[in-house]
Amino acid sequence: MSDLDRQIEQLKKCEPLKESEVKALCLKAMEILVEESNVQRVDAPVTICGDIHGQFYDMKELFKVGGDCPKTNYLFLGDFVDRGYYSVETFLLLLALKVRYPDRITLIRGNHESRQITQVYGFYDECLRKYGSVNVWRYCTEIFDYLSLSALIENKVFSVHGGLSPAISTLDQIRTIDRKQEVPHDGAMCDLLWSDPEDIVDGWGLSPRGAGFLFGGSVVTSFNHSNNIDYICRAHQLVMEGYKWMFNKQIVTVWSAPNYCYRCGNVAAILELDENLDKEFRVFDAAPQESRGSPAKKPAPDYFL
Amino acid sequence: MEVEIDEKDLKAAGAELLTDCGRHGLRIHGWEIESCKRSILNSSTLQHWEQKLGTSHLPEMIFGENSLILKHCKSGTKIHFNAFDALSGWKKEALPPVEVPAAAKWKFRSKPSQQVILDYDYTFTTPYCGSETIELPVEKNGEGHLCWEESKEKINVIALASKEPILFYDEVVLYEDELADNGVSLLTVKVRVMPNCWFLLLRFWLRVDGVLMRLRDTRMHCIFGDSADPIVLRESCWRESTFQDLSAKGYPSDSAAYNDPAIISQRLPIIMQKTQKLVIP
Repeated sequence: MSDLDRQIEQLKKCEPLKESEVKALCLKAMEILVEESNVQRVDAPVTICGDIHGQFYDMKELFKVGGDCPKTNYLFLGDFVDRGYYSVETFLLLLALKVRYPDRITLIRGNHESRQITQVYGFYDECLRKYGSVNVWRYCTEIFDYLSLSALIENKVFSVHGGLSPAISTLDQIRTIDRKQEVPHDGAMCDLLWSDPEDIVDGWGLSPRGAGFLFGGSVVTSFNHSNNIDYICRAHQLVMEGYKWMFNKQIVTVWSAPNYCYRCGNVAAILELDENLDKEFRVFDAAPQESRGSPAKKPAPDYFL
Repeated sequence: MEVEIDEKDLKAAGAELLTDCGRHGLRIHGWEIESCKRSILNSSTLQHWEQKLGTSHLPEMIFGENSLILKHCKSGTKIHFNAFDALSGWKKEALPPVEVPAAAKWKFRSKPSQQVILDYDYTFTTPYCGSETIELPVEKNGEGHLCWEESKEKINVIALASKEPILFYDEVVLYEDELADNGVSLLTVKVRVMPNCWFLLLRFWLRVDGVLMRLRDTRMHCIFGDSADPIVLRESCWRESTFQDLSAKGYPSDSAAYNDPAIISQRLPIIMQKTQKLVIP
């Protein structure tokens, strides 16, 4: 058994790698990812997965439902880390699979694959806690910069973490972005990872936060038409039912973190496309408590004031 | 700190757990105190709430069936906490939106034509401090209203700090929103019941990363007595500060330092405080 296969077996048990192993794995992953396009081509059949957010045991449920990699070809739409308890193991397992089977798993970048966001929402603290230093966080966030920004399945299904950008009307415009950087606060790359579809606007909307685009049905129609694609598949927003179509089936949100944050009680979904691009959503629940390896999270009584 | 609830303590306090139909709570000194925790609302119920509240934007995680109910059985007085009433309060208060730091840069971005700027209060800030009703028996015809009076009394924090056994404890989330990864908006209520009183904390916690923090706490305390009508004291305390003001005072200004409102609440200046009293007939 090669070192890499052994590491994959170890990660599947939710045991993190040694710091030196992470460093070596990231170097290998970088060589692969640097060659990928900003609009990475993906062949069908493929199974598309949305946000995971460090919910390692729920991702194992996902693999139970969708089948193991490399037997199943996977596309993950980002947000591997933050919020859940096992961002380190989750991301490293996906990365190790990427290095081992580069043509059978595609990882694209979510807005949480960023230095700034991971420092606030959990991954940074988790690395520090599990390794006693921030080196592993550094190696991983360097890899984040190399992750592709989107994927195109059989030239027909455009996949991205967040959504569209007013600065982008063609896929070629995405191809020209220099992606090897921290996610910027504005511009096309930022929008692809952050924007949301919105029912109540038709064209473009600006979030009440003063930053962040919302896009309506006519924007999607014209993007799909000019790029000759059937629909857009994206993640980024929690959906209680695991997936949600909008704008007359021109865009679908796929969410793959069941019982999000261990308390929402939502189901999750993955989207399976067969060789003819026929769709099947597979809906799944969170891992049963006893398979989590950690005790049930009951609120511990405290003498709050 | 982990505290195990002890059967013997319950018995000694004359309390009994509610065990029927999977209920979670207890009966003690004429009160029935009960919490209920369920999943977030599904899409169709969410739409229904949007219509009822007259909005097209609600928090992404609404625990619409979660509740905490404290019912004084003899009088029919019911103090309860739920997301719907809290969001009605948000809709009514309708604060102007708070701009995130990136907004300054966005003002110089070339705007797409036909851009709509949304302007609802995405922080879901609410003045909610609980709901109350009197449920009278049918023959006395329907529901009554309760009257909170201003009060100069204070909740006895020293007495509450004593480590009496906790007979019932729960924390119930009413709603939560991640502000699209720009912070947190969270409304929760915690309760603890001891042999001689119950105490609860309803907390609205908001952090808009790099911009501001807001804490709106409501505490209620009721001491069990044998003879007189029970009295519930309610203290509301609102605190608020910008990150800029915190850093001017020498406090850290990175969002990661502000994950737990319990730890940092003292750093936020008080902007409103009042105490009210409810005498239960």
